[in-house]
Amino acid sequence: MAYEALDFYDIDSLLTEEERMVRDMVRDWVEDRVLPNIEDACRDGVFPDEWRVEIGEMGILGAPLEGYGCPGLSYIAYGLICQELERGDSGVRSFASVQGSLAMYPIWDFGSEEQKEKYLPGMAKGELVGCFGLTEPDYGSNPGDMITRAEDKGDHFLLNGAKMWITNGTIADLAVVWAKLEGEIRGFIVEKGDQGFSAPEMKGKHSLKASVTSELVFQDCKIPKDRILPDVKGLRGPFSCLNNARYGISWGAVGAAQSCFNSAREYALSRIQFGHPIASFQLVQNKLSWMLREITKGQLLAYHIGKKKGDGSWIPEQISLAKMNNVDMALEIARMSRDIHGANGILDEYPVMRHMANLESVKTYEGTHDIHNLIIGRHITGIQSFTREP
Amino acid sequence: MGVAVLLKQVPDTTAKISISGDRVDEASITKWSISPYDEYALENAIKLKESGFGDVVAITCGPSRSAKCLTEAAAVGADRLIHIISESPLDSIQVQSLLSAAVKESGCEVVMCGKQAADTNSGSTGPGLATTLGFSCVGGVTEVSIEGGNASATRLGPSGLEQVEVAVPCVFTFDKGDSELRRPNVRGIMMAKKKPVDVFSAEDLGVDVGDSMVEIKSHSSPPEKKPGQKFVGSDSIPEVVSKLREEANVI
Repeated sequence: MAYEALDFYDIDSLLTEEERMVRDMVRDWVEDRVLPNIEDACRDGVFPDEWRVEIGEMGILGAPLEGYGCPGLSYIAYGLICQELERGDSGVRSFASVQGSLAMYPIWDFGSEEQKEKYLPGMAKGELVGCFGLTEPDYGSNPGDMITRAEDKGDHFLLNGAKMWITNGTIADLAVVWAKLEGEIRGFIVEKGDQGFSAPEMKGKHSLKASVTSELVFQDCKIPKDRILPDVKGLRGPFSCLNNARYGISWGAVGAAQSCFNSAREYALSRIQFGHPIASFQLVQNKLSWMLREITKGQLLAYHIGKKKGDGSWIPEQISLAKMNNVDMALEIARMSRDIHGANGILDEYPVMRHMANLESVKTYEGTHDIHNLIIGRHITGIQSFTREP
Repeated sequence: MGVAVLLKQVPDTTAKISISGDRVDEASITKWSISPYDEYALENAIKLKESGFGDVVAITCGPSRSAKCLTEAAAVGADRLIHIISESPLDSIQVQSLLSAAVKESGCEVVMCGKQAADTNSGSTGPGLATTLGFSCVGGVTEVSIEGGNASATRLGPSGLEQVEVAVPCVFTFDKGDSELRRPNVRGIMMAKKKPVDVFSAEDLGVDVGDSMVEIKSHSSPPEKKPGQKFVGSDSIPEVVSKLREEANVI
C-alpha cells in the first residue's frame, strides 16, 4: 500500500508549491533508496556512501543557508526534509542535521570569507562531510566545563582533548571542534589528516545503527591559525548550531512517528483476532486515536516554530519545547505501535522497533529531554536549576 | 529545433479511485501525477537536450491543476512550458487538435509522449497527432536518438529489440524502458518556480474544438476479483492439476 503520511489538520495546505516539491522529492528518495536498504545498513552498522552522494545530488544539505552553493530554502522546507528523512530512519536525518546545522551553519555564520568559500560549496554537494565536536566523555549536558584546550603557539594552534558521541566523525573530512582558548570557548576547523587528530568509530550501538558515531581524539593536534572561527566566542557558538539542529529534530520526530502510526494502522486493519481485525477493537482504536492526536499537535508545534524561525521571532525555549515534546511523543508512539504489532512488532519486517531504538538516542542527544524541561523551567520561574550556584 | 513532450496529468497510480453517482469522483483524488509513460518520454527528451538537440518544450492540456505537471517537468530540465487550459472534459480528437496547434506554435518537429495515458488508456494521442500534423509516427519506443534529420528509435518487437530509422518530423510514443524519469534537485525546483508558463485557450490557438463526438454514459468500478484458492499438501496435487487443465486452461 502506498505511504500516506498522516496529516489530520491538513498542514499540506499551508505549504508553498516549492516546499511540497522538495518534500515529495525527499519522500520519493527515501521510498526508493532508504526503505529497501535500511535494515541491511543497520545490520552492517554502516551509513551507505551512496546515500551521501544522492543526498548531495538532491541539494538539500544546509537547506536554509543562502549563498556559497547552499540551497537557500525556507525553514519549513528544511523541516520537511528532516521529517521525510527521519520517516526513513533517524540515522539518515542525523547525517543531514549534523552536516547542515552543526557543521555548515557555524562556518556560514561565524567563519571567515575564505573558510566559507573553501568548505561550504563542497559540503552543500555532500562532497565534503562535516561533523561537530562539542560533547566530551565527561561533559554532555554541561559543555561549558569542557576539557578540550587550544593553545596559541604563534604560527599555529595546538589542540588537546577528546570528544565523544560524534555523528559522522569517522567519515568526516572536517570537524568543527569547540575548545577552550585562554579559558574561552572557540570554534576550530580540524581537517581529516591533520597531525595528531584521529576519529575512531564507536561500535556496539543498539540505536542509530545506520549512522556513524565516533570519538574525536586530539593529541598535540596542530592546525593552522586560519582555522579558528573568527566571529564567535563562548557557548553562544555551539548553542546557535544546536538551535537549528533541534528545530530540525522537532520535524524529524514527526516523520518517525508518522511511519510508526502508518505501520500500526495498516497492521491493525489486517490482523484478525477473535474473528475481526484488531482495528475494530476499542482499546486499539484508543491507541490509534492517541497517536493521531499527539502527531497532529507535534506537527502544529513544528510548523509554527518553523514560521518563527523563518521570520526571526523565535526564542530558544520555544525550540526546546518542540524538540522535547515531539521526540517524547514519537518515542511513545513507537512503543505503542510495537504494542499494536504484537510479537510481529519486534521483527525488522516492520519499521517500529528500529524507530523506537533510534528515538532513545534522539531523546538524549541535542539536549536531553530533562535538560529541555529545565530550560523551560528556567523560562517559567527565572530560576536556573542546572548548577548549585545561585 | 527542439522536442515537444506531451504530458497528461492523471490520478497517481497509488490514488484511490471512487465513483460518485455514475462518474469518477475527481474531487476525492488526493494525488495527481504525470502519466508514467509520459515520464519516459520526458526523460528521453531531456537526454536528447543534454546531447545537444535543442530545447525541451513541455505541453499539457487540461484544467488548471495540471499546471503542476509543467512545474515538475521544469524542475528536471524542461525549458519552455505550454498549458492549454481546458476545464471541461474533451474527447481524443479535440485534445489532439489542441495539442497539434500547440506543437505547431512551438516549432518543434520531434514530438514525444507516452504510448497511452495511465487513466484512459486509449493510446490515440500520439498517432492522432501525427496524422493531424502530417508527421511520421513510431509507437512503443523505449529510446530515441537523433542525428541530423534522422532519428533512430528502439522498441521491443516480437523477436527482440527493433531498431527503427525514421526521418524527422516524427511523433514517438514511449513504452516503459530502462530509464525512469530522473529525480529533481533543489536547484531545479527553485528554477522551475521562476519559469513562465505560456497559457493558451483554444481560441488563442485558433482551434475550434467543436462538439465532442464521444459521450461517456457512466463509470463503474471493475468487479471485485474472486478470492484465490488455497491448496495444502501433496494430496491436493491431482485437484490442482485438474483445475489448471480444465478451469485455467494453462496446461
